[in-house]
Amino acid sequence: MRKIAVSFTIFMLVIFLAACGSSGEGGGASESGEDSITLAVWGSSPAESEALEETVTSFEEAKGIDVQIEVIQDNFQDALTARFAADNAPDVFYLESYVAPSFIESGVLADISGDINNQEDFYQPQIDAFKDDEGNLFAVPKDYSTLAMYVNEDMLNEAGYSVEDVPNEWDELLQFSEELQSNLDDGQASMIFDSTMARHLSGLLASGLDPVTEDNQADFTSSNEANEYLQSIVDGQDAGYLKNPKIDLGIDSAGAAFGTNQAAIMIEGNWVISALNQNYSDVSYEVLSAPTINGEEQSISFNVGYAISKDTANKDASVEFVNYMTGEGLQQWSEISGTLPPRESVAEEMNLTENENIAPHVNAAEYATVWSSGVNLPTIATSFDNYFSAALNGDMTVEEAMQAAEDEANAEIERQQ
Amino acid sequence: MGGKRYSNLAGYTFLFPAIIAIVAFILTPIAYAFFLMFFQVDMLSGERTFVGLGNFTEIFSDPKFWAAFENTFKYVIVVVPIQTTIAMVLAALLNSKVKFNRAFLTIMFIPTLTSSSAMTLIFMWLFNNNGLVVNLIDSLFGVKMQFLTNPDLALTVIMAMNIFSTVPHFMIVFLAGLQDIPQNLYEAAAIDGANKVKQFFNVTVPQLMPISFYVITMGLIGCFQIFDQAFIISDGTGGPQNSTLTFTLYIYQLAFTSNDMGRATALAFILGLIIFAVTAIVNKTLKADEVNG
Repeated sequence: MRKIAVSFTIFMLVIFLAACGSSGEGGGASESGEDSITLAVWGSSPAESEALEETVTSFEEAKGIDVQIEVIQDNFQDALTARFAADNAPDVFYLESYVAPSFIESGVLADISGDINNQEDFYQPQIDAFKDDEGNLFAVPKDYSTLAMYVNEDMLNEAGYSVEDVPNEWDELLQFSEELQSNLDDGQASMIFDSTMARHLSGLLASGLDPVTEDNQADFTSSNEANEYLQSIVDGQDAGYLKNPKIDLGIDSAGAAFGTNQAAIMIEGNWVISALNQNYSDVSYEVLSAPTINGEEQSISFNVGYAISKDTANKDASVEFVNYMTGEGLQQWSEISGTLPPRESVAEEMNLTENENIAPHVNAAEYATVWSSGVNLPTIATSFDNYFSAALNGDMTVEEAMQAAEDEANAEIERQQ
Repeated sequence: MGGKRYSNLAGYTFLFPAIIAIVAFILTPIAYAFFLMFFQVDMLSGERTFVGLGNFTEIFSDPKFWAAFENTFKYVIVVVPIQTTIAMVLAALLNSKVKFNRAFLTIMFIPTLTSSSAMTLIFMWLFNNNGLVVNLIDSLFGVKMQFLTNPDLALTVIMAMNIFSTVPHFMIVFLAGLQDIPQNLYEAAAIDGANKVKQFFNVTVPQLMPISFYVITMGLIGCFQIFDQAFIISDGTGGPQNSTLTFTLYIYQLAFTSNDMGRATALAFILGLIIFAVTAIVNKTLKADEVNG
């Protein structure tokens, strides 16, 4: 008995030590390679995955640096934050402009102001989103998406209209939607909308309201015009000509509602194009610029860049990689993935403005508001989303809801100090 | 003496892998969380500033905390009794000599096997404004109910979903307990003139008390920790108007939206205390260990 116990103890210890030893070696190997970097990305469409693999392969062949792609399937931001907290950050990673300010403020990103080639070639709003107050650069855009208006030609024709009838001004557009709704079947929406702040920031700005003040507080109450703008959405929903695809139609996404002829007009980003072409190829549509609000051209731009972790052991290789992916390799990436290149020269090279469906998106790059506004935007946007839904379901007036959202956001910001 | 030491050593050796896992993945994080709740923590950079009990005063002055508190308690108070009762009644029915009871059992167990995120999507499909339930109510009563956007009803949808998906599991637990009840108790009760309903309340329910205690405790813990359904139904915001904001969802928001790990761990600690206290009260009132003695 004693012998068995002793030999078992030794056996367990050996296994344990062996396990520790081998994991230690494994960890060493991945860090030691001078010419090897890790890249963390989120899981995306097959086209984007293929584009990334091919562009990374071209880079590896051109520069002799090995890139390990780590795909984080879900909740990328949370997983990345946890990796930083665990001191196990990837060398290079995708960074959304929305969260860029908090990453910059935390000081975990490498300053690459002097390392990136040809910075003036980028659409300036796209690259400015990754700069701090002093103008230092912390990430480089790899692509962007802007909002534009999609019009379903078949549905319009059936209702007795044509694409030319669709106004390009918000209030007129709403009137048109109301008129159109009465000529549609039950269960069809003349226009679908999204109630989150990410889709309305530019509308609010065009109505004279900057929801994020200079000292990073929330402000949803200082402009009557902004309330009127939000009220127009509430009214549209109450009257039934603006519908939320998920809640009112029971469809997962705006693109699916549009593609199955259940919505005539939607304001969406260029990410829907590939779905419309592949999954709903029989829908005929045209893309127009997003409507002007109070006479101002407006759209929102969502952009994603490559950032380098400050503690990376391979900063040179990382910089080289980022330069390649947003420079030489940018066209290859954009062409295969179908995303929009943030460099003007590449956009021209690809003749993007000649493609009728893509031109409105590319043109918007000049004037679109980048979805990013200081470290507190996530908190402020959460409060907006939480309370704007109260205005939409009739529990509060728009004024009450916006006051409540502002109070909640500012109280939360105060607590974070 | 030596023999005892050696057999202890053998015991610890067998426990060794489990102890390593428990220390690394449970005890260390708990100790670290206990430490972090007195700090303001920037998760990204790992910077810490000592704030003492500041995190707790902030939490108690926070209306969102009280909203989460109210929602979670409402949720527990509604869901736990209903799921326990339904599970017990279903188990008793299945234990009687119904035909095809195995087939029923199999079918009824399906909701538990479905992942909760898939279940949430099915429920959102049923309860959206163009969904089956809403259209059914509309055609029967002519009322348009808005389940997902109405703050009074959004939590109800989550409650219904949780009851639907946890009942089968607890039913199986009760069923196992029922098969342990000696048949002669029922025979004696029958001779004394008790009908089936009386037998259920006077024999089955008391005999099942230890099992009920287990079911209620696990139900309580599960309900206090409700997260995924609330997360999916509100896209992580806890809306409309904080009506689906639960403790765990708020902990998640604090840690990842507000980037405030100190407050998140402090809230997790409060939640732990609440669960501990409620379980202790249930244990005292049910006196689970004294039954069958």
